[in-house]
Amino acid sequence: MRNLAFSLAVLWVSVASPMAYAADAPAPNQIVIGAALPLTGAQSREGGFFKKAYELALKEVNASGGIMVKEFGKKIPVTFIIYDDKSDPTTSVQMYEKLASADKVHLFLGGYATPLVQAHTVVAEKYQIPYVNGGGAGGDIYARGMKHIFGLLANISKCSGTLMKWMTFQQDAGKLLKPLKIAVVGENTSHGVEFRKGVEDGANAAPARFRVVLNEGFELNIKDADALLQKVKASGADVFLADARVSDYTTIQRRYTELGLYHLVISYGPRGPEKAARDALGRASDYIVAANWWNKDMKDKPSQAFTKKYKQAYNEDPEWFAALGYESARVLFTAITDAGTLNRAKVRDTLANTKLSPELVVGGVVQFGPNGQIQNDYVVTQNLPDGKTIIVYPPNLATAKAVVPVPKTK
Amino acid sequence: MAAKDFVSLVISAILTAGLYAIMSYGLALIYGVMKIINLAHAGVIMLSAYMTFWLVTTYHVNPFLAPLIVMPTFFLVGLAMQRIFIRPITGAPPIASLLLLFGVWLIMQNVAYLIFSGDTRSIFTEYTLLTIKVADIPLSLNRLFVFAVGIVVLVALQLFLSRTYPGRAIRALAADSEAASLVGINTGRISMLAFGLGISLAALAGSLMSLIYTFDPDFGRSHLLKSFCIVVLGGVESIIGVALGSLVLALAEAFSVVWLRATLQDFVSFALLVLVLLVLPNGLIGLFRGRTH
Repeated sequence: MRNLAFSLAVLWVSVASPMAYAADAPAPNQIVIGAALPLTGAQSREGGFFKKAYELALKEVNASGGIMVKEFGKKIPVTFIIYDDKSDPTTSVQMYEKLASADKVHLFLGGYATPLVQAHTVVAEKYQIPYVNGGGAGGDIYARGMKHIFGLLANISKCSGTLMKWMTFQQDAGKLLKPLKIAVVGENTSHGVEFRKGVEDGANAAPARFRVVLNEGFELNIKDADALLQKVKASGADVFLADARVSDYTTIQRRYTELGLYHLVISYGPRGPEKAARDALGRASDYIVAANWWNKDMKDKPSQAFTKKYKQAYNEDPEWFAALGYESARVLFTAITDAGTLNRAKVRDTLANTKLSPELVVGGVVQFGPNGQIQNDYVVTQNLPDGKTIIVYPPNLATAKAVVPVPKTK
Repeated sequence: MAAKDFVSLVISAILTAGLYAIMSYGLALIYGVMKIINLAHAGVIMLSAYMTFWLVTTYHVNPFLAPLIVMPTFFLVGLAMQRIFIRPITGAPPIASLLLLFGVWLIMQNVAYLIFSGDTRSIFTEYTLLTIKVADIPLSLNRLFVFAVGIVVLVALQLFLSRTYPGRAIRALAADSEAASLVGINTGRISMLAFGLGISLAALAGSLMSLIYTFDPDFGRSHLLKSFCIVVLGGVESIIGVALGSLVLALAEAFSVVWLRATLQDFVSFALLVLVLLVLPNGLIGLFRGRTH
């Protein structure tokens, strides 16, 4: 009997010793990742895309057994807890607090829209929970010295910066003159201010190519764009750049068209190809150039693969929200694998030093800047008649040549 | 600024004033008669925009004729609202109706999110980008139509309020509800009529605005605030005052953008409101009534 007990003890020690390290931090049954998304309210459409993207990434990773965590010597399945923040920043903060304190999630995935991300990232930083998002681009989010916030959307001044790069490309191709006079207007929010700053910075950096002749903000929900457009007309600009939400974009562009205004290039920043705007503007949206974080027609392999599987899963073409949501989840999963642990500080450090390629962001590389925000270029698209949209920049992703300048007969 | 651009700006402001006036008539009527600030005004604007969208896209109703269906529908909705929500709290402190109608607005919004989602909608027809040139100044057909309807509504309302029994009864009720009751006016029925009429005017605004702006369940919120300014600016109990207030506001906004900065547009609206209240507490119409007397 004593021999049996001794044998069992030896057996137990020999089996348990590889787990001795892990026994200090027992392996969880699941890796729990939390997020709050706008599933109802003003941003519900976009929030819905993020949810679908997260679920697609989740299904993929669990199909292979989960994430390999070296610390525990095995793959651990992943589960998401996703709450509805009702498109409200205050509710968003409350949901992330709940995820951290009550649900005790391991890590965070991001929400959508800059105001909400700006608000709830405070919670991630407070609890020191690594947070990866594809839904908040405002530079202010990453200018607060926070160490646990990582964003896959380049900031808005990069949007206008990419448009300036594209115009430089067109100038070198002899399609646009030098210097170009630019009238830039933007909504009176941090988004609009950043966009206009990007244009000013681009012009200051290349005075032989660009000159800003009008730089003006306007109030949200503009009712009558005539006075603003009069100013644009009076400025004598060659190019009209604006940053506006869909509702203001359609209000301004309708009046622009009715007044018979003309510029060599027209852009509303990230707005342009979305269905709601094309439906509201008809031919008035033709030839408008937009800069965005991703497009379903991007030819690189990761983008094509994602577009195919998303369409198979949901029977619809993905928009950038879904692509960046999916990529956020994958980047977080990869960080866990690379860190080899669920220890938040180590995952955080891994994210900070991450360099992943090929990925479906423009440029193919995910590498966060010192402030936690990616600094990749945008992809530039142009609307064509009959509802088509083409990619015109960067050259390695372009699907067709841009129509520059805008035809006068438009 | 070139003369042509100046004229174009003035015309544009006048057309915008027509839109502002239509947006505000309903609010002014309900407040004038019942001393109720109808916060559900924004919700009605939003729902009538959706109803117009549904009529145009599903039944191919001409968008210029859709208000003929929307207005009577919402008149009945207004009668029901008055019966169900307002009548039970008659005599309660004003805060009760304010909060009640705010709650009704939130319900309207949330129901709209559930049914229509947050997607931005628009009505795009063969008329949408059409313009008519007058002295080489392009005028949007949609905006001209809205302005014309605004004028028709102004005249019709004035005639209704001054030449018909229900209209005079509404004015009597607005002036003194006790005296109106004493002279035999059925105040309950007239209140219901006024509320129904106010709601139908808000619905007309929403139906016409859907031709010009995109909309979602949050549509109407920023218009409500502007309507308040206009009603107070013009004079809370005067339809002509509303039209006058709309014109002054539209012109002030347009020229503030040109001569100052576009970001000061809303500031100018509210600054004008405060100024008028300090100098002319009865609104702009009080200035003319004062001079007449």
